[in-house]
Amino acid sequence: MAQELKSINLVAPAFKGLNTEDAILAQDPSFAEVANNAVIDRRGRLATRKGIANLSTTITALDGEPVTGIHVFRDSDGNTDTFSVGNNKILRGQAVLVDYTPVAYTITSDDWRMVNFNDSLYFFQRGYEPLVYSHSTSLVEPMSTVAGAAGVTSAMYGNEVIGAYGRLWTADFTGDKSTIYWSDLLQGHVWSGGSSGSIDVSEAWPQGFDQIVALAAHNDFLIVLGTQSVLVYAGAEDPTTMTLSDTITGVGCVSRHTVQSTGSDLVFLSHSGLRSLGRTIQEKSASIGKLSSSVTSDIIAVIDNETEEFDSAYYPEQKFYLILFRNQCKIYCFDTRGALENGAWRATYWPDSPIKALYAGDRISGDMLIGYAGGIGKYDGYTDDGSAYRLKYRSPELSLGDTAQLKFIKKIRPTLVGSTGQPIVLRWGYDFDSSSGSASFTPAASGVSEFGIGEFNIGEFSSGQLAIRKSINANGSGSTLSVTLESDVNGNELSIQEINMLLLTGRSL
Amino acid sequence: MSSLLGDLLGLGAGGALTHKAYEDIGAAGDTARQELTNLAGTMEQKLGFKPYGITSATGGQFNVTQGPDGQLSTSMQLSPQEQALYEQQMANAGMFFNQAAMPTDQREQEVYNRMRAAQSPEEERQRLALESRLYNQGRGGVRSAMFGGTPEQLAMAKAQAEQRDKSMLAAMQFAGQEQQRQAGLGQGMLASAYVPQAQLLAGLQPGMNAAEQARINQAAAAQAYGETYTSGLDALLQSRMSQANLASSLGGGLMSGSLAGLFS
Repeated sequence: MAQELKSINLVAPAFKGLNTEDAILAQDPSFAEVANNAVIDRRGRLATRKGIANLSTTITALDGEPVTGIHVFRDSDGNTDTFSVGNNKILRGQAVLVDYTPVAYTITSDDWRMVNFNDSLYFFQRGYEPLVYSHSTSLVEPMSTVAGAAGVTSAMYGNEVIGAYGRLWTADFTGDKSTIYWSDLLQGHVWSGGSSGSIDVSEAWPQGFDQIVALAAHNDFLIVLGTQSVLVYAGAEDPTTMTLSDTITGVGCVSRHTVQSTGSDLVFLSHSGLRSLGRTIQEKSASIGKLSSSVTSDIIAVIDNETEEFDSAYYPEQKFYLILFRNQCKIYCFDTRGALENGAWRATYWPDSPIKALYAGDRISGDMLIGYAGGIGKYDGYTDDGSAYRLKYRSPELSLGDTAQLKFIKKIRPTLVGSTGQPIVLRWGYDFDSSSGSASFTPAASGVSEFGIGEFNIGEFSSGQLAIRKSINANGSGSTLSVTLESDVNGNELSIQEINMLLLTGRSL
Repeated sequence: MSSLLGDLLGLGAGGALTHKAYEDIGAAGDTARQELTNLAGTMEQKLGFKPYGITSATGGQFNVTQGPDGQLSTSMQLSPQEQALYEQQMANAGMFFNQAAMPTDQREQEVYNRMRAAQSPEEERQRLALESRLYNQGRGGVRSAMFGGTPEQLAMAKAQAEQRDKSMLAAMQFAGQEQQRQAGLGQGMLASAYVPQAQLLAGLQPGMNAAEQARINQAAAAQAYGETYTSGLDALLQSRMSQANLASSLGGGLMSGSLAGLFS
């Protein structure tokens, strides 16, 4: 007697994101073994990330080099200026990148930290005299040449700078990783006299020694992030009386570029993974990174390989935090809509990314700006400045409740949304072999409206997303199975709504 | 013939008696002059200065002597113990006066140093407590343009500076007072150095009174002697004068009778 086909539904597969820690054995279809160039969309589906929409038309100043840092400066008149760094230059503008590097100022590294403060934009990099773009002069000039500048010495040529509590704060100097300098009140170019000062935190590290990597202002605290520990100072409104409120041992920060404020929390990348300051303070623990616990090993491996610089962005409009490993062209995307049961954020992975810089600090435009070899772009569209990128999803190994019983996949029926005209490859495999069989199909272009014609003679629905339901005949057998879906994203979005499988079960092994 | 001879003999005898009376009166004057001269010498001896000395109960001596030229000289001699005390006290007085005369800056510094030595341990304890508090607050390394370090460190530094200022002023005041005290002590020592001498002089008064009394007695005795002597001499001269007058009267009578006989 013929056996009835069993229908297995993977609804919104991978809506918990990537899990490379325990997904293989957990066999939870809510996770993905691979989720490349994907995000978790607002419906909880695994969907293609957006690409890079180019904004720059003239990039001769870059001379083939990428933009490695972006900052948007909004002056007191409400005007917006985009500044970027690359090719050892300070650049201004988006469409036309104009070299604003001060005359006779030599730059050999583009690892700048930029911060808005009191109608000026400050550029800090270790070993370099800080640069100042002033709204009043519309010039980028060395800090010491700014009228009224004081105390600008090589001792305060810091790598890290923040503007907080009415001052600039800088740290991480050549040969001095334990001192923090603060400027005079509201005068970012005055570093001696007035209410300026410094603090040497070398005696405050809970483990006896550490080095300052980053600074942050959060929840009325001054946060000092070292490589292995964190200092929390209260009362930084008056730096001379601020006191150590808390210390955290065993958790540090790998780069000042990874620190992002999410409004209610502070997120940073530690050597043990992505961290939330609020949770770290609560738990007082040095356990493996909570926010990235589903991809911790991968993150740690990438950090260990990383020799260059990081960048990051918290993009509330899309509700994700991105961490860029520039040299390795890798980005991890963490969805901030909600946490999983273990407190982790849902993660996806963007490999082989051309992105070299991220900036999502302009809350007015709502754009996330991207630096790359083509200049400046924004997170939009579904190509990387015209180039396709590959979406890839692979389910974890699924035993469907009985690892000892053979399974025979007869049909795979994915329900996809979007991706018209883009070839899609579906593969299935058994027993940890991801390519036992495959099929390719290309959904028809969605040039017509959902209902064939516009309901009111206008194309109101003509650009609606196309739901694709395809039935693929599959073969083979095994005790566990996995499904892989890949597609080159080249202008259209693609979301995985559901994957339905019809299968037979066989004898027990 | 016999009467003439008798008259002549009577005239001659009368003249001789008169002459003898005359000579005796002259001899009586010479005797009076000589005796009075002798008396004057005797009185001079009797009323002349007699050197004397006084010895106090503590051994000090006061002597009045007369030199060959008649000039008086006095000398005082303290006892060895008194002399030693005098010398000691003089030396002490000199020492205190020297100290009082010294500039006070060095002494001020010494006093200041001792005050600071007394204050420093507590200041160090307070500094360590603040340092510990700042360390526990993670503020050990604060350097500010406004305060140098932290406000608490500035406050402590100001307090300690004020304390140092007060100590310095107190040291100056103390050194001045000490200078006055040393001058007073010098004066006291100097005064006490002269106490043996003063006491010797004080002890001199009874001795001088006794000497004066002796001198008065001696003067009275001399006066009585002189008066007695002159009374004796006066009686002697009176008897001599009476003898002379008798001889003169006898001689004059003889002569008058003889003359009357011759011319009768």
